[in-house]
Amino acid sequence: MRNYLHIHNIHKDFSGLQVLTGVEFKVQEKERHAVIGPNGAGKTTLFNIISGKFKPSSGAILFKGKDISGKPPHILNRYGLSRSFQITNAFQELSVFNNILAGVRSRYGLRYNFFKKPNQNREICEKVDAIIKEVGLTDVKDQPASSLSYGQQRALEIGITLSTEPELILLDEPTAGMTREETNQAIKMIDQVTAGRTLIIIEHDMEVVFSLASMISVLHYGTILVSDTPEKIRNDQRVKDAYLGEG
Amino acid sequence: MKQKSISLITIVVLFLVGLFMPFILKQYHLNMLTEIIIFSLYAVSYNLLLGYAGLLSFGHAAFFGLGAFVTAIAIIHIPGISLWNVILIGVAATVVAGLILGGLLLRHKGSYFALLTLAFNALFYAVATKWHSVTGGDDGLSITRPNLALGFTSIPLSSLTTFYYLTLVIMGAAIVYCWYFTNTAMGKTVVLMRENEDRMKFLGYNTNISRLILFTFTGALAGLAGVFYTFHFQFVSISAISPDMTTAILLMVFVGGTKIFWGPILGVFVYVIFQNYLSNVTDRWPLFMGLIFVLMVLYVPGGLSGVIMNIKQRFFGKKNNNGDKTAQAEEVIS
Repeated sequence: MRNYLHIHNIHKDFSGLQVLTGVEFKVQEKERHAVIGPNGAGKTTLFNIISGKFKPSSGAILFKGKDISGKPPHILNRYGLSRSFQITNAFQELSVFNNILAGVRSRYGLRYNFFKKPNQNREICEKVDAIIKEVGLTDVKDQPASSLSYGQQRALEIGITLSTEPELILLDEPTAGMTREETNQAIKMIDQVTAGRTLIIIEHDMEVVFSLASMISVLHYGTILVSDTPEKIRNDQRVKDAYLGEG
Repeated sequence: MKQKSISLITIVVLFLVGLFMPFILKQYHLNMLTEIIIFSLYAVSYNLLLGYAGLLSFGHAAFFGLGAFVTAIAIIHIPGISLWNVILIGVAATVVAGLILGGLLLRHKGSYFALLTLAFNALFYAVATKWHSVTGGDDGLSITRPNLALGFTSIPLSSLTTFYYLTLVIMGAAIVYCWYFTNTAMGKTVVLMRENEDRMKFLGYNTNISRLILFTFTGALAGLAGVFYTFHFQFVSISAISPDMTTAILLMVFVGGTKIFWGPILGVFVYVIFQNYLSNVTDRWPLFMGLIFVLMVLYVPGGLSGVIMNIKQRFFGKKNNNGDKTAQAEEVIS
């Protein structure tokens, strides 16, 4: 069976500082794959490489058999890959609606058109409203992003990530900084909105990881220590020593 | 929808007022109004770059001047060339220049970009000054306006009134299109890029290409204004392509305000009228224009249009109801 996404021997160094030293794991289609690891293990760097923000120093990323490493983000997005950011990265001055609209119209090919007005396209507007509803922001859809509460901003972040209708979603610590209750709601929402798609999630919160993930990879000082099912990971001695044991 | 019909009515009313102006104004003032309309397109095109896309360019006069010079050169060297072909050649030249300059400059951001545009403007200026055989150097080039060929008939444009009408229709149409443009997909894309370019990349937008297209588009509009500048004065001198012409546009746009679409047009009115009266009173008028500019930037950063919007808001309590904070974002979305 061909792997859906194969991260193959990825190295990354920043002017001599080796952050990733041969990351290797595979993700199957429709899998919910969590990447865990202590602070500074290189999780966000790995995401930045998969999503095209950085180029890897060496190695390959095979997406449906095709090497996509080093491709710019806008191309990767058109292949069906979309990511969220750890720190909300929205259009702060614009309304929730217009934040989501940016991605939806991109998906519909309305990026650089000199004549068509995207907000007059009914199909696009309905899609925007549907996504806003999915992430639970219908009540505030006309408010600027900057006026939203923290939890709402995080929901908006996920909404923007979903707006280009990706088949592969990368979520970078979606529940960071949330209260327990907010986190529980967020897990439920993420579970719903990513149904039927492939998900890779970076998370610190073990509760989130074990309630969402079907596979877990443990990143430890630049390499993948182990990549397995949650049950196996929970009982893995190396993981306990390296990471889980600490808590 | 209501907003839209108000805008349409405003455009129609302004156009009708424009049609009646030759019956009301003396030649001297009609002359001034023609100049205002031409500079309005120049200012609006500059504001698409500065206000909407957040790109500070000190080289917009390179496009304006290129359009102006190509017009004069085409009329002089191609006997019997039609008005439409002159416009076509003038705009085509600026499109080519926009693509080349944009390709070279746009990989730099912020102040580097601004300084590079200034350098290129200076280069264009130097070429215009030194290439005497083509540009006339310090002497400039004199032309006569070609007739307006409309297929079935040909209208001479030698009278100011007929030329004024042509200017009103073509410059007016270009400005109305610019206004429409701010609501199109591309118009919104440039605002979104100003707000958060990084995120745009992750949403599938090629931001480099977008910037190049916008830079070329606004350059071509400035070029079109330059073509009409030469038509209007029937003369072009190196001042059309000099960095002073860039300073002038900065002044107009800042005085009018960058946050609202029609702000720069207001700025042009104020600038041209002020300049005309001040230069009658004193030779040191640039000093006063400079002072006004400094005071505006320091104390009225929103420009005159910003002041008007504030007053309007205070008296009518009209609030943005679409949730976007900036006036510009509002315009782009409404």
